[in-house]
Amino acid sequence: MSRSAARPRPGAFLAAAALLAAHGAAAAEPLAAAISVRGGRLVASLDLSSAFPPQSERTFGNGLTNVVALHVTLAAPGEPPAALTGRVIDILFDVWDETYAVTTREPNAPGGVRTVLPDYAALRAFLAYPRDVDLGPASSLPQGSFVVEARVDVNPVSQELLERTREFIANPSATQRPGGSRSVLGAMASFLLREPETGGGVHVFRSRPMAPAEVTGR
Amino acid sequence: MNAAPAPAPDGVRRPRLAWLRVSRFELKIALALVFAATFPLLGALYLASRLAEENLELGLNPRVVERLESIPTLYRDLFQARKQLYAQQAKDIAMGLPRDPARGPAYLAAAVSRTPRLRRAVWTGPDGRVLAQVETDQPNPEGEWRDVPARVTLPRGGLLESTFAIEARFFAELDDARELAEAVRDADRIRAGIRRGYVRSFGALLLAWAVVAAVLGTLLARVTTRRVSRLVDAVRKLAAGDLSVQVDPGRSSDEVAGLARAFNAMVREVKESRDRIVYLEKISGWQEVARRLAHEIKNPLTPIQLAFQQLEARWASSPADDPAFEKLLREAGEIVRDEIGTLQRLVADFSAFAKLPEVKPEPGDLAEFVDDFVRTSPQIGEAADVEVSRGAGAVPVAIDRTLMRRVLANLAANAIDAARPGRARIHLGVARGRDRAVLTVADEGPGIERDLRERIFDPYFTTKNDGTGLGLAIVKKIVLQHGGEIQAGERPGGGASFTIALPVS
Repeated sequence: MSRSAARPRPGAFLAAAALLAAHGAAAAEPLAAAISVRGGRLVASLDLSSAFPPQSERTFGNGLTNVVALHVTLAAPGEPPAALTGRVIDILFDVWDETYAVTTREPNAPGGVRTVLPDYAALRAFLAYPRDVDLGPASSLPQGSFVVEARVDVNPVSQELLERTREFIANPSATQRPGGSRSVLGAMASFLLREPETGGGVHVFRSRPMAPAEVTGR
Repeated sequence: MNAAPAPAPDGVRRPRLAWLRVSRFELKIALALVFAATFPLLGALYLASRLAEENLELGLNPRVVERLESIPTLYRDLFQARKQLYAQQAKDIAMGLPRDPARGPAYLAAAVSRTPRLRRAVWTGPDGRVLAQVETDQPNPEGEWRDVPARVTLPRGGLLESTFAIEARFFAELDDARELAEAVRDADRIRAGIRRGYVRSFGALLLAWAVVAAVLGTLLARVTTRRVSRLVDAVRKLAAGDLSVQVDPGRSSDEVAGLARAFNAMVREVKESRDRIVYLEKISGWQEVARRLAHEIKNPLTPIQLAFQQLEARWASSPADDPAFEKLLREAGEIVRDEIGTLQRLVADFSAFAKLPEVKPEPGDLAEFVDDFVRTSPQIGEAADVEVSRGAGAVPVAIDRTLMRRVLANLAANAIDAARPGRARIHLGVARGRDRAVLTVADEGPGIERDLRERIFDPYFTTKNDGTGLGLAIVKKIVLQHGGEIQAGERPGGGASFTIALPVS
């Protein structure tokens, strides 16, 4: 199955920022984040390990395509985000090769970068400790203290998923009867299925307030 | 169904969108229809909600979703089992490799032949040189396949690489199963949204259906309620004294159309009754005038007549001889006698008009009555050619034969007078309608001007030089007292026609 994963879009970032603001219930532990400037860009390294416990192997190793959406913002307290980014990761465990095929899509790589990871330990390290998350130009760094927030959605209900589900409920018998007629009720139900809903696996992280001096490489 | 006449009483034009106005009755009927159309749909909506929920329960049963999601794991187990089997088989083949490489091809050929799904075996020496290599040319009995290499490092150095086949269909099936499992899993994740979408779409379809039903119902109701509203308008006009109002019942045969027809008949009946009463009251007044006139004229006539007779007798017995006076007296006597005669006839007519007896109807057949009249009225036969036409069957009516003879006699006399100096032709016709008997008296005279057809029944209205104008008034009074109607008209082909309609008894 060729699954088209959710691609990060500027609108999605704003929505994610709004959701981050709405989800005030951050993890108990502050997010461990390291911000640096490299090549005039702000890059972040994060510790999201609590979102990917070892027992998640059952989820990611089930042979189905799983999606992890990561949205990161950097903002002065009480201010709108000064920098933000999004990353969507498709994970498919190949039950024949017993490896994890990972495709990462970011604003600077909308087509996706494919990586094959040999086992769950490698996958967990890849997911839990993202490196070099590009937050944008270094000039966007606030003058004062700032907070890094991250939102991790495991298998979010994306617009693509809605589209696919819409197609499915509008024409559920398409796979059995190519070109079969659509039902009016199904078509209408598909049309009315518009609003994305929050998926089950949502994790929100917030760092402690950080000072600009903590940004390395300036 | 239209109330006629329709012009606005105040002469103001009706607004173009007046038809959009809804009366209370229309509103009630429309609301009842909308309620009847939509109320059951609320139950249907609830049932649809339950149905969607139960369908989702069936289609997205957690056990089904779980089993579907576990399918890739099953394939993983299958693949692992195959890999282990192939590894073991490769190991067994490696264990049996001969020491002499020259016997290698035969050994490997036998191994390939006896080992299921083993497609190729390559024995490589410690130096990397291929010592023996065998590959089957038989087609795989299980169809398309994919290579599964299994490598065994030999204890004496070297490598045995065996290539097994695994059915390619497993991978296609795995892809299909994964696609289905992901679709079901995704649907399960947005199950609430799907249910809401189904319920909303069902509700929207029901609402659209209800709106269509309500609009159609309202339009259908309006067809009836508008007719009732027009009836109400007509009744209001009737109550205001407009007896000319009529309602168009249309082509329908339902109760409302029947009501409209009954209303029209009632209005006609009321109008006829009112006209009859008014006319009879008017006639009654004129009868009183006639009685007084007759009395007042009659009283001095006798003394005048006696006085002149005495004058003539005295002159006759007088010895004086005055030829001129004698001539004058003789001429004056003739004039006085003529005028007194005229006045006496007038008094007789007035008296007859004033003393018209009450109608005493008795059952009879109108056609037979007409035949009797013609047979027993030779004076009419002498002055006119009379033709009688009658339909088949009896025409039962209740009539006062004496008074009705007077009616026919008056009408026949008018026809004879109208034909003078020629001989009159009178056509008498009898026919029976559903509830009316119709007697027609027509002639071939000059006819009656249209403007005069109503006035000729007024007392003392006459177009003759020597008429009193009482004949047709008497005729109409007698007819009305029989509960009938009389109308003056035109005979086809020329001439006057009087149509008398009497109730069938």
